[in-house]
Amino acid sequence: MKGMAAFGAGAGLMVINPEFLVSGAAAQAGKQLVFLSAENITGNWDPTAHTTLSQKNIEGFVMGFLTRTPMRVEKPDEVIYELATKINLLEPTKLEIKLREGVKFHDGKPFKAEDVKATFEYGSQPDRPAQWYPGSTETLTITTPDDYTVIVDTSKGGYPAHLFIFLASYLPMLSATDIAAGPSGPLSQRLNGTGPYKFVEQRGNDTVLEAYSDYFLGAPTIPGISFNFVGDSTTRMLSLMNGQASIVERLEPEQVATLQGNEKVAISSVVSVENKYLWFRCSKPPFDDPRVRMAACHAIDRSMLLEILGEAGHASANYVSPVKFGYIDLPNYPEYSPEKCQALLAEAGFPKGQGLPELEYITSVGFYPKTKEYGEVITAMLQEQGFPVTLSVLEIAAWNERLYDRPGGGPGHMVDCGWSTGSPEPDLVLRTHFHSSSKRITGIVDPELDASLDKERSAASLEERKQILQTETMPMIAAKVPSFSLFTSVMIHAMDKSLTGLFIYPDGSMDASKGAFA
Amino acid sequence: MFIISFLVRRLAQGALIIFLVTLLIFTLLRVVPGDPVRLMAGGMAPEALIEQIAKEMGLRDPVLVQFGRYMSGVVRGDLGQSFVRPASGASTGGSSFGDATRGERADVLTLIGETLPMTLQLAFLAIVFAMLFSFLVGIPAGLSPGRWPDKVAFYVSSIFISLPGFWLGIVLALLLSVKLGWLPAIGYKGFAYTILPAIVLAVELSPVLIRTLTGSISSAMMMPFIAVGRVRGLSQRRIIFAHALRNASVPLLNLLGIQISGLLGGVLVIEFIFDYPGLGLLTINAVLQRDFPLIQGIAIVTSVIFVLINIAVDLIATLIDPRLEY
Repeated sequence: MKGMAAFGAGAGLMVINPEFLVSGAAAQAGKQLVFLSAENITGNWDPTAHTTLSQKNIEGFVMGFLTRTPMRVEKPDEVIYELATKINLLEPTKLEIKLREGVKFHDGKPFKAEDVKATFEYGSQPDRPAQWYPGSTETLTITTPDDYTVIVDTSKGGYPAHLFIFLASYLPMLSATDIAAGPSGPLSQRLNGTGPYKFVEQRGNDTVLEAYSDYFLGAPTIPGISFNFVGDSTTRMLSLMNGQASIVERLEPEQVATLQGNEKVAISSVVSVENKYLWFRCSKPPFDDPRVRMAACHAIDRSMLLEILGEAGHASANYVSPVKFGYIDLPNYPEYSPEKCQALLAEAGFPKGQGLPELEYITSVGFYPKTKEYGEVITAMLQEQGFPVTLSVLEIAAWNERLYDRPGGGPGHMVDCGWSTGSPEPDLVLRTHFHSSSKRITGIVDPELDASLDKERSAASLEERKQILQTETMPMIAAKVPSFSLFTSVMIHAMDKSLTGLFIYPDGSMDASKGAFA
Repeated sequence: MFIISFLVRRLAQGALIIFLVTLLIFTLLRVVPGDPVRLMAGGMAPEALIEQIAKEMGLRDPVLVQFGRYMSGVVRGDLGQSFVRPASGASTGGSSFGDATRGERADVLTLIGETLPMTLQLAFLAIVFAMLFSFLVGIPAGLSPGRWPDKVAFYVSSIFISLPGFWLGIVLALLLSVKLGWLPAIGYKGFAYTILPAIVLAVELSPVLIRTLTGSISSAMMMPFIAVGRVRGLSQRRIIFAHALRNASVPLLNLLGIQISGLLGGVLVIEFIFDYPGLGLLTINAVLQRDFPLIQGIAIVTSVIFVLINIAVDLIATLIDPRLEY
């Protein structure tokens, strides 16, 4: 019997063969950049067909842009020319774009003015889902005096042409040939750009890119990029720690603390273009009354939310991120004040919250950091002031299904959501959400807000527009509070320390053309 | 003759079970909150478009009508197309618009066909690890009841059964992959990527196998035929492997059938943690995305696997011990 026991124990030790295990790990080594994304992509490669951040990140590697805007807090208006060499505002409604010569798309087609014209005309079609343009195709007249000059005339739309200056950094340039084949053609099947990396194939959840040797700013050093969707943040972190991943995104604050002590990992924190909001359903009671909305805002102590978020949150007091054009800390932005909250509730006919209907606050879990945790705190703070609120924590798909406004008001009464657009253009947030022509989540219809948003959009110059935004439009939104911007997200990436030269934009997209592994 | 009547009877029972499971899953998916068309078309799509797509896809018909249509496809081997995944198989988000420009949707059968072998590979390796470990610990324990090998087996089983799989997965990835660099942990680029998740699954499987094996061997060793074997002059090794283990293997086999069925549930968590591209990861993403055809397809395929495993287990048990009748 003893012999058998010893045999069992001895054979147990034989199971582990260190040589085999070590050789297995060696097989991981590779030179390409492995990016682990927190979000999945869509089933359509057409850049005008989606608003999905992860796919915008892939486009950042592959596509070319007329300009780039680094959008740092200290210099939010900075513009760097790429496919454009110059942008001139000829008249308030006429913009001239001069293009770089000698640039080729990945399929070999030379980049010319016809591509810019086709991209703008196609992207502004009313049926294109992304809808980033200030007006539809009919409001634009685009001419190409020569192969490297584009004139954008917005006089038919009645809005200024300078709106295209910031937008130029956000709109990937498509090939006119691809566009001519229609929306069901190659546009939806693959990416074809002028950027530093070429799209090779989609292999399951792995988007395979390879360096474009004819890139006009010089061939990239890193030979390829593998862009993978990995849903679990711990899995992403472990993958970075064991050397399988080169860079991971959307770190939880606790993970930052863990990785900061790791000598092989570098952390990049960038104040992002994304603000996180508590959106009110403004088209149905009780939040159709701005006094009730304002009372709810005064019930929330945002400094406590920032404590929960740690490194993932940045204090701001406006409806756009500090890296967006026109940002200021608004003097009238609602502060935590239980007294004001109670006074407004009483004025609205709900003293101490009595008479308010049961309210539902919807939030998500799994994508944004700490939503459940700070959602519980907000719920408790609202309850403390008499709001009969319950919190619904939904996984991403269910939350996404209930997010947007519907006829008669969207589901629930308040919704948590961020809004991120990789351009300094503030209207990508303000007009999208607070103009009655869009009102994505809030459902607000307010003629005064419409008029102010139209006025700032139609300003003749950027300076004039900035002034209107800062002194009229933004303060008006803060007074009517169709939503409450809680904080600005900090985009946290962790990467292999030997990876240098990578530039991360505040929307999470990156320029890897100068990246290299030391 | 017995085998044929056994198979006919059990396969007919299995077909009924699969039908009922399919009906149940199909109905439940349609009564839970969450409109899949909203997810497909995108949150920004207007209500009119949502209704138009839903009607075109037959999603506003009565559930039984939808079920009949679905089953007519299933019997022809057509499990339908994923609501959200493109033909490339990528896990896609629901925020895109349901316009005609979207790429071709992936066939459910193709998606399952690509991921099932990965899960079977993982499950097979996990069972091999679990069996190997259980035999190494359980046989000595069964041969020495009340002594140290038995106590070791008891403590090992108690510890293993107390370890949550998701926790163990993370800890082992940290230890064996991050710290020691012995094994790759995340994703799949070769067979080595199967080892770590298989170890975690094996740890989950082992405790019950060890305890069953220990008890069965211990009982078998008390049986009169073992004493007779010694009198006949058989070696200890022959007595253990040819007689005691054979008798102990029937309860172990039955247990293994249940464990393998449970294993398919265990891979959901483990594949998610290790980003292992098998049926478990596919299932989680399908559920998160309300991808009804994919969830239904996976449910049917896993039901078929459960039924076949149980039939195989019963058949093998009958062959080992002809006294058994199923």
